[in-house]
Amino acid sequence: MFLALREIRAARGRFLLMGLVVMLVAALVGIVSGFTTGLGNDTVSALRALPATHVAFATGAKSDQFNRSLVDEATVSRWRQRPGVEAAPLGVTITRGTTDRGLEIDMAAFGVEPGTFPAPPVRRGTGLDAVHPGLVVSGKLASDGVRVGDVVTVDRLGLKLPVTGVTDDLSYGHVPTAYLPLDTWRAIRFGIPGTRTAADQLPRDASGVALRAKAGADLAAADRALGTLTLPMSKVLEAAPGYKGERVTMSSIQVFLYLIAPLLVGAFFAVWTVQRAPELALLRAIGASRRRLLSYTVLQAALVVVAGTIAGGALALATGLLLGAAVPFSLPAGTLLATLGAVALVGLAGTCLTLRRVTTPDPLTMLGASR
Amino acid sequence: MSLSLSAVTVTRGHGQTLTPVLRDFNAKFVPGEVTALVGPSGSGKSTLLAVAGALLSPDSGAVDLDGTDITRLSDRERTRLRRARIGYMFQTGNLLSALTATEQLLAATYVAGEGTRRHHARAVTALEEVGLGDRLKHRPDQLSGGERQRVALARALFLDPRLLLVDEPTAAVDRSQADAIAELITDRTRAHDCVTLVATHDPTVIASADTVINLDAAP
Repeated sequence: MFLALREIRAARGRFLLMGLVVMLVAALVGIVSGFTTGLGNDTVSALRALPATHVAFATGAKSDQFNRSLVDEATVSRWRQRPGVEAAPLGVTITRGTTDRGLEIDMAAFGVEPGTFPAPPVRRGTGLDAVHPGLVVSGKLASDGVRVGDVVTVDRLGLKLPVTGVTDDLSYGHVPTAYLPLDTWRAIRFGIPGTRTAADQLPRDASGVALRAKAGADLAAADRALGTLTLPMSKVLEAAPGYKGERVTMSSIQVFLYLIAPLLVGAFFAVWTVQRAPELALLRAIGASRRRLLSYTVLQAALVVVAGTIAGGALALATGLLLGAAVPFSLPAGTLLATLGAVALVGLAGTCLTLRRVTTPDPLTMLGASR
Repeated sequence: MSLSLSAVTVTRGHGQTLTPVLRDFNAKFVPGEVTALVGPSGSGKSTLLAVAGALLSPDSGAVDLDGTDITRLSDRERTRLRRARIGYMFQTGNLLSALTATEQLLAATYVAGEGTRRHHARAVTALEEVGLGDRLKHRPDQLSGGERQRVALARALFLDPRLLLVDEPTAAVDRSQADAIAELITDRTRAHDCVTLVATHDPTVIASADTVINLDAAP
């Protein structure tokens, strides 16, 4: 500590500059991480909140399954009869509407059978009711101004739905969710604009079958028998529009930042080590062990990297607060700590690339013998 | 304390360019005395310091320090020996640029793994003994050449070494400073009762030494 701190004090300009670079990299990683989580939540939080282990889709739907897949009522019934599986139909479609107070809203309509496990928990108001169809809206829509008691008219169809309750801040494909009975969902999904189709004239389909499978349930056999394609929830998330592309993009940015960070820190310490090579030779000459030279160099790196990373984390948090709800940004403590920990680790790894040079200065160079 | 070199040979270069720098060198040194090593450039003065100071292993011969042949020690053991029993004062680049004069001395205890705080008062006294009581918080760039050499001498002696090795101590200072440094080396050698070897061209340093070894004339 003695030498590490005094060298930092004497070269505070250089260390401050390096600390700032680490801070900016950490902030950038933190901000990207916040956007990754935020965008992820914005895309699939409704799916993550679904208390299901799997979703069964029609076999023909290979991608964007919630849009492409249609599963008929018979298939749902047969899934319900499979041992070790609890099944409930689920309809997903994105639509628009206008409240009776003139507020225009986009909503991801999640059609569920009231009383089944995909039905959402209600924070305010009342839950879904098959007899008196209404909407349970995402907290995000409530934040936008939709209130319990409002009546939402679905665009093009003229279907009027009262808002009966508010659930958590859930969304799908960057659109806040609104839960409604499956029959009402069918009217939106299959209804012809400008006409009113009787409920018994609409297809009795859903987008998929939400499943709660117990351990040992043979889902592959069920798929073969029922002509469905069952995906675990981790894969179901990829069925959300844009989710995979977003993840790949944001993760690529993060990977590049994780590659850049050690190179920056490593380059700084490589130059720093070259600059003080004569002093390292002096220390070796007066009896400093290689371990001591290494330990105080690593300590210097740790101080700069950790301080810069903490400051970067604070900057990322401040950016998140500044952005507020204007953009999908979410940086929970766990994510932030993991991100900053990774930045600090790769930063220190960068220092390790230069450590050999710390121990190689020849103490003999201090004497005229080698001059 | 005793230091003796027996049949020490050091060569430089390879193959056709192989050149002996020291050849079958023998000498014995006495504590409390200053020995000046003289000779033209390339005669082996600094090489002799390096061999005696466990910085360089000779091609052959023995270097006996208090009954231990230091040529047989491992790299780690030689490092330990340097910090515990040998003090160095080099021609230039003696000081760490980030440290004050006091901290230069404390760096010796830091290197020895002894901590620094409890040695602070002793470091101040050591600097006062070399006439730098008013330069305690000065960094190398705030000291003159002579003052830097005094700090280096104080640090070299701070852990009470048995062997003090000094390489051209007056080469980078003016005449008046050189005289003072030569006197100080002799004075501190007596006070610490250590063996002191000084590689020098300086007539003042040579005149103040107890023994002079002319390496140009060595067999």
